[in-house]
Amino acid sequence: MNATLAASSHHVHRAQRRLAPWFFNGAMLIICFLVLIPVLGTVITSLKDQTEVQRNPPVLFPCDTPDGQFSLSACRWSVEGYTRILEPRPSAGTLFGFEYVGRMISVYLPNTLIYAVSGSVLVTMLAGMSGYVFSRYRFRGRRALMLAILAITGIPLLTNLIALYRMGVGLRQTFPGYEERLFVIVVYVGFFLPFSIWVVKSFFDTIPRELEEASFIDGCTPVSSLIRIVAPLAAPGLTSAFLLSFVGIWNEFIAGYLLVGKATLRTAMFGLYDFIGQFVIGYQVLAAGCIMVALPVVLMFLFFRKIFFRAMVEGALKG
Amino acid sequence: MAQSAEAASISRFSRTSHRHIKQGFFSRTLPFWLLLPTLLVLIAIQFIPGVFSFFLSTQSFERGQQTFVGLRNFERVFTSSAFGESLWHTLFFLIGYVTLTLIAGFVIAQILNRKLRLSAFYITVIFIPWVLSDVVVGLIFRLFVVPDYGLFSALFANPNIFPPKGISILTTPPSTPILPDVPFPPAPALIYLIFASAWKALPFITLLILAALQTVPREVIESAAIDGADGWRTVRFITFPLILPTLVVALFNLTLSGVNGVGMVFSLTGGGPGTATEVLSYLLYTIGFGRLDFGRAAALSVFMAIINLTLILLALRISRSEREA
Repeated sequence: MNATLAASSHHVHRAQRRLAPWFFNGAMLIICFLVLIPVLGTVITSLKDQTEVQRNPPVLFPCDTPDGQFSLSACRWSVEGYTRILEPRPSAGTLFGFEYVGRMISVYLPNTLIYAVSGSVLVTMLAGMSGYVFSRYRFRGRRALMLAILAITGIPLLTNLIALYRMGVGLRQTFPGYEERLFVIVVYVGFFLPFSIWVVKSFFDTIPRELEEASFIDGCTPVSSLIRIVAPLAAPGLTSAFLLSFVGIWNEFIAGYLLVGKATLRTAMFGLYDFIGQFVIGYQVLAAGCIMVALPVVLMFLFFRKIFFRAMVEGALKG
Repeated sequence: MAQSAEAASISRFSRTSHRHIKQGFFSRTLPFWLLLPTLLVLIAIQFIPGVFSFFLSTQSFERGQQTFVGLRNFERVFTSSAFGESLWHTLFFLIGYVTLTLIAGFVIAQILNRKLRLSAFYITVIFIPWVLSDVVVGLIFRLFVVPDYGLFSALFANPNIFPPKGISILTTPPSTPILPDVPFPPAPALIYLIFASAWKALPFITLLILAALQTVPREVIESAAIDGADGWRTVRFITFPLILPTLVVALFNLTLSGVNGVGMVFSLTGGGPGTATEVLSYLLYTIGFGRLDFGRAAALSVFMAIINLTLILLALRISRSEREA
């Protein structure tokens, strides 16, 4: 009796072990699908035309025949949402024979690209310099300074925004040559720098000092050792600081919305927010806008995902 | 200890080195020059505006006249009904958002930690929401529930699932409060906002918990199983205590992002219906830039900065005592 029980429980265990991977893989596939529903739904919506997005009750796939049957040949996919954002106009001198006059593609996205590239290059440089100092030098006030920078990490831009807004107004009145773009970039740098310093410092901490000491013996000055020996080794850390700030600035909304006054300097996130009022029932246009704005950073993430993962875990846990 | 010994060896080395004696002023003060740009930017963008906010919070801007009013802005903000209401909204939002994200993140991380062959693929797919901006996430979720035409609208409007009459996320007002002055139960829009925010925060929290789970030694789990602990007990008494520090980090991270996040409210609900999703950060925006009352907005922003700093100092203290223990 006992023996059979033991045998059967043993049997159950073996069966469980064989079934477990299938069970958990199945669970993960379902979770992945659930997580992706909003994204897939948006992609589908962006490929419908105006009459399809305004059907009541709504239909997921625009593929039904008049008698209510699903048929692939009846599909009415459309890129209307995208063309209404891009607004292509025939133009002789350009690459594809079209120029795109939609504000998203001609104004907002280029602006966001400028802010994100220049902002994150600056963040990376400054974080590299100060992260190196915090990792290598011991001086009075070092701990206090690091704690202060860590404390700043958590203060949201929103808290400072009222003051920054008033400062922007003041700067505009005092300096005739005031460059709004520059102000916004510096604000972004100030906002994303503290976190990057922590990420970069933790990477510098993993580089052995002996390498530098050896380079001193070989006749390097601290500056040349920093450039020739340390910087290449710290490249993964610097890359992750760059990528995280790039995504952060690209996705930032409220500062760009409040601090940028000129219509020609507005960001993509502002453009998207503005669309909500503009295309009140053009849901396919809104969906297409979401995809166009999100696609660059999604591709960037898929390409560099390992760097992202490592940097985020390090940054959160070390800080 | 080891580090300071190393530092000492470097400095002893540099004192005896011929080359280092000849070093110029620039090389000797290198750390200062490397730090200077960072300090300048942080002072200009973080420190001065912080102090300036504090100054603005004591000023009144009524009728175009800027006058000193002491703490009256604080008094008027804290006693306004909008503040009390948005404080409740923020609280309900935080409770839902933090609990939902932590539980879901923990479950998914547990599954991923079984080293399935496709784990790398799963985590990549799950991570896509994290790369999207608040505005995009809010807009995506809004498109699903726009009255009549949204893909989920019919589901929510179904009276059998959501009695008595079905709901429309963006327009159904909150039901009558159970307690006076406490907006509970919250509006469907606030609950929907919680789901949208949790969807975006989930990847990061899952990754954090997964990283912690991977540091739990396999032998400990196996020996617990040999001792006869079932799955739940192993999680409760072994895994959970071991990854508690990370859960605390995740908790603070979620609380901070929840208190300060505003972009999703903008694009998903715009604070509505009525003021049902007006959280503190959104109230700050409407006072400051909707009504252009900078004094009171600054007072509210000082209040929020204090919340943030308290949370961060608390997190630091906890993580330090963990490390020392």
